[in-house]
Amino acid sequence: MSPSLPDASGFRTLERQLFAERPGQQHEYPQTQKLTAPHIESFNTIWERAGPHTPALIDIAVSLLEPQTVFDGKGGAENPRGNRIKVWLSDLRLDHPTQTARDEKGSRLVLPTECRQRSATYRGRLSGVLHYQVNDNPEMTEERSFGQLPIMVRSNRCNLKGMGPGDLVRAHEEPDEMGGYFIVNGNEKVVRLLVATRRNHVIAIQRPSYANRGPGYTPYAAQIRCVRPDQTSQTLTMHYLTTGALVVRFSIRKQEYLVPVALLMRALIGASDREIFAAIVGGDADNIFVRDRVELLLRSSKDYAVYTKEQALAYLGDKFRVVMYAPDDMRSADIGRLLLRQLIMVHLGDARDKFNMLAHMVRKLYALVSGECQEDNSDTPQMQEVYLPGHLYLGIIKEKLDDYLLAIRSEISRDVRNAKVDLFNTRYLARVFTRVTVDIGLKCNYFLATGNLVSRSGLDMQQMTGYTIIAEKLNYLRYLSHFRCIHRGAFFTELKTTGVRKLLPEGWGFLCPVHTPDGSPCGLLNHLAHTCQLTTVVEDTEDVEKALMRLGVQPGLPSPTLGDPALLTVQLDGRIVGYCSQPVGRRIAETLRALKLQAQKQRETRGAPRGSLLDLPASMEIGFVPVSHGGQMPGLFIFTTPARFTRPVTHLATQQTDTVGSFEQVYMEIACLDGDVRPGTTTHQEVLPTHILSAVANFTPFCDFNQSPRNMYQCQMGKQTMGTPLLSLPYRTDNKLYRLQTGQTPICRPKIYNDYGVDAYPNGTNAVVAVISYTGYDMEDAMILNKSAHERGFGYGSIYKTEYVDLGKFRKSGDPITQHFGLGPDVMSNADVLERISIDGLPMPGISVSSGDPLYATFDEVRGRTKVAKYKGEAGYVETVRTLGTASDGDTLQVVAITFRIPRSPIIGDKFSSRHGQKGVCSQKFPAVDMPFTETGMQPDVIINPHAFPSRMTIGMFVESIAAKAGALHGVCQDATPFQFDEENTAADYFGEQLRKAGYNYHGNEPMYSGVTGLEMRADIYIGVVYYQRLRHMVSDKYQVRTTGPINSMTQQPIKGRKRGGGIRLGEMERDALIAHGTAYFLQDRLMNCSDYSLAYVCKCCGSVLAPIAVPASSHVVDLSAPGSEGAKPRKGTQFAGLSAAEARAIMASFSAGPMGRGPLDLVCRLCQNADGITMVALPYVFRYLATELMSMNMKVKLEVK
Amino acid sequence: MSGQMQFNSQSGAPGFKGPVTQMSYLCASCSKSNEIKPKEPIRCHDCGHRILYKKRTPRMVQFEAR
Repeated sequence: MSPSLPDASGFRTLERQLFAERPGQQHEYPQTQKLTAPHIESFNTIWERAGPHTPALIDIAVSLLEPQTVFDGKGGAENPRGNRIKVWLSDLRLDHPTQTARDEKGSRLVLPTECRQRSATYRGRLSGVLHYQVNDNPEMTEERSFGQLPIMVRSNRCNLKGMGPGDLVRAHEEPDEMGGYFIVNGNEKVVRLLVATRRNHVIAIQRPSYANRGPGYTPYAAQIRCVRPDQTSQTLTMHYLTTGALVVRFSIRKQEYLVPVALLMRALIGASDREIFAAIVGGDADNIFVRDRVELLLRSSKDYAVYTKEQALAYLGDKFRVVMYAPDDMRSADIGRLLLRQLIMVHLGDARDKFNMLAHMVRKLYALVSGECQEDNSDTPQMQEVYLPGHLYLGIIKEKLDDYLLAIRSEISRDVRNAKVDLFNTRYLARVFTRVTVDIGLKCNYFLATGNLVSRSGLDMQQMTGYTIIAEKLNYLRYLSHFRCIHRGAFFTELKTTGVRKLLPEGWGFLCPVHTPDGSPCGLLNHLAHTCQLTTVVEDTEDVEKALMRLGVQPGLPSPTLGDPALLTVQLDGRIVGYCSQPVGRRIAETLRALKLQAQKQRETRGAPRGSLLDLPASMEIGFVPVSHGGQMPGLFIFTTPARFTRPVTHLATQQTDTVGSFEQVYMEIACLDGDVRPGTTTHQEVLPTHILSAVANFTPFCDFNQSPRNMYQCQMGKQTMGTPLLSLPYRTDNKLYRLQTGQTPICRPKIYNDYGVDAYPNGTNAVVAVISYTGYDMEDAMILNKSAHERGFGYGSIYKTEYVDLGKFRKSGDPITQHFGLGPDVMSNADVLERISIDGLPMPGISVSSGDPLYATFDEVRGRTKVAKYKGEAGYVETVRTLGTASDGDTLQVVAITFRIPRSPIIGDKFSSRHGQKGVCSQKFPAVDMPFTETGMQPDVIINPHAFPSRMTIGMFVESIAAKAGALHGVCQDATPFQFDEENTAADYFGEQLRKAGYNYHGNEPMYSGVTGLEMRADIYIGVVYYQRLRHMVSDKYQVRTTGPINSMTQQPIKGRKRGGGIRLGEMERDALIAHGTAYFLQDRLMNCSDYSLAYVCKCCGSVLAPIAVPASSHVVDLSAPGSEGAKPRKGTQFAGLSAAEARAIMASFSAGPMGRGPLDLVCRLCQNADGITMVALPYVFRYLATELMSMNMKVKLEVK
Repeated sequence: MSGQMQFNSQSGAPGFKGPVTQMSYLCASCSKSNEIKPKEPIRCHDCGHRILYKKRTPRMVQFEAR
């Protein structure tokens, strides 16, 4: 069989070079732009309308803010509240980041690179219009600024918007800059994706903790997370009580409130008992369980004596008047209405819809209690969606706007109390409005910088911290996965149960099964599969409803007179559209999908569907849950909302790409491979089996040959690799950047490499690897490096560190500037300084620096002196010196950023790894003469031990080895995409034939000769080419050694910490081992001599270490032998009281105050009043401390000294 | 080859309060060379950008290659 070779090399070298020379406006790798799409799109929808039917979310949010009303109390008898002022907001606008200079006309756009370099925030002005109206006078408006709001890079408010690679390079960005992050104080901050409960869908839950909420509570509840049109949410939980009653729980400003369901239903539409009964029971009139519960429910509602809608509203309004911050003049019933509008089923506008949904919720809860349906698992992606960064950001902005209105209200209210209010005086109002300032930009800045959510309402979120992460540019893979990671929530990290961490089949294709860290965040921090998309657009659902009606959905709720228990509810985005029977429902679901695909095709070919064709959104989810025996609650659930997980699969009948959501997927027939297709059943098929993996997991070559944990390890290690983090290196001031100088593109790589443009960001080097046990220096995952390979640059890297020097940091604002960068006359003769620092006080780029060298100089005008700062740290070179002019005023230079380059050539102890979770530490750099060699004279660059394989089963590494070897021999790039080979058509054969054709052994083994003896080895050695990554863990950052050094002043023990030159603790377990070994001398040396060895005086008579004190010989004779004889104060108490502390101090003082050399110190025991028993012993210093501490608690430590 | 060769001073004795000693920097935005005097605000004369890079040392830089 002749091996099939790819016709071209496959490295795309020319293609890439051509593009690099002439970058156009089209992105070379459009796939990379999709990775951050959820971030950018969700931010964009805040500020701009996403479609013809969806206004900008900020406008919706502002319109949903309640206007605030205050009364001045200056009315007559007929109007006791007095005049009314109403304030509200509109027209919020966010400007592009600009900079206005004092002496420049107009303003200048600020680019992200400038913010990064000067460690500033990339932000634009947020402004809005404040409206106010006094009584019914004409309304007045005023433009208000809400500060500088951080802006997401590459969003529609970013100055990089719409730029192509050419422009981006000119703007000093990456050619394929993905954006999606904020720049806060120079750091790139990403708002984490968080898992949320699926919106507008009732989930049945059973939680033992619910039973402990109070008397009568049971574990059963139904919950719905309702999302308002502005994407803020309000969760309602309905509890089932043993009395049969149901209460709805919701929270207002983190305070929980419980309201009986019947009361809400009555208040919503004024439903009679009969209506409520019919709505809940539905077609299932024979269900005695439900009928009984509803009866109980209705009966228990009679306790409130509320019968009509107005009564119910007034009842609610009366109770919630204070917490709703309702205006004074509002009627209770109106407050009730406000409550229903703002808190109950907020995704729905219409009261009837809300009522229907509540009825459905009740029905589902009863179904759960009776066992008719199963509880929903809220840990499955089926019941989940995502908190998108933009939605979260908007939530914060909205709340701060609300705070602003409330602040105005309380400011005026305070003036009312102090009788200083005059609503008709425009100057008074202007004063009030200037007094109330809310800098929303600053608040958002804080949120992004710390990740802490400071909020009154809690935004219906479970956690208050940990919302943002720094997008570290450690390497490309690490950077990329920051945007794709999705966290389950901080709450679950402390959870003892492991259910949440489970890999569930529902997540197939949405969450990567491989790419999750091991250890504490395992399963909680997941990564999106690389084709998984998150919806961001609010779709128009008018046509969906039209389609449903045409297809035979009966509007409204089924009535008990139908007597059909099998009627299914049809819900569209959490609104009950109607009902249908099961067969009709199935048909509707199928037809709807066909119509959706048809509309999609139309859109692709001829633009938006018009005429008879319905415009059904492509991302629409059609979840048809069939009737089952105690399974999930049946129904037809249709979702078009944003923030859902979706992914592309192939629709078999039409061969179109269909978008599938995580809810509907559970009930769909999607085949993976061709062999899985079952005619008649299967409707869809995966586009590619690799679509289930995340981008990073996809980069593991032949990962289907490996044991799965090894692929997980590779996902971890790929992200810790010293690689190529970015291409715009001269324009970056990151704290620390790792860079591999000699990166190569792997010979053996999956196809997806070209989609994500990883060639531009190499992460390692192709190394010739021999699997052989040679000299024993490759034991236990150690690897031997060929010294010549190292000298040729294998794994050579450097670290770029940037230090900011800010002279203004210690200056109070307002003080004049007295410190400048520069050399003063006093150091002009210092050759050492002049050698390195030029007249501006800054080092010259290019010079080498090592610890202690003069680095920069500052001149103090007041003292007339020059201060020369020294370089601290590892030896390196000054790479760049950036002088940063102040942003606001034209002051002299105060801030400088100095970037150092620290070379890090590989040394013994540095960590390397292949791409198969096989990490190792360099144990020796063998000279080339000692390395084994093959018959063709090849020497390995790396030697690893064969013992690394049997238990780890990383067959992928073997395959990579021969594949890359064949690739290198033929000069081609090998496709390492997983799932390409099978039992008949094996990888070993495919690549073996290629090797054979190149004249090598089919199996990849070769005879080798020992470099030391020159003799042929007994066994053939497996030698091939493997792509090796150099990990960032390097001994230079880790080694810790100490003989003597800093000690803790209280215990005299060595301090800990590598940075401070401390020691490593020899702990209890280490101590135990040494005891067991009987190495007493060593133990003594560690615990005593090298630690807090001290000499102490002990009184043998009383056994105290503390009692012996030093006194001058003369005074001790005077004081102790003849107390009081000196004519001092008469001694109080007995003769044995010894010296009081004050007396001892006096003695010491008199001694030290006197002329020097009056006599040696003498020791005396304070307790025994003599010096006879005092001896010196060696003690750990802490023991003295312990004795002192015990003494303070009235405990005596007695040593028996012999 | 002293460190003073790049100083643009007339008297030859560079001092902090002595004759004007200006240095040239590169603008981070437009890459133009800018002559900046001590205590002068950091600002590109051409484009107004406020980040300037110090030029590389004119001295020969040679390190032992090992």
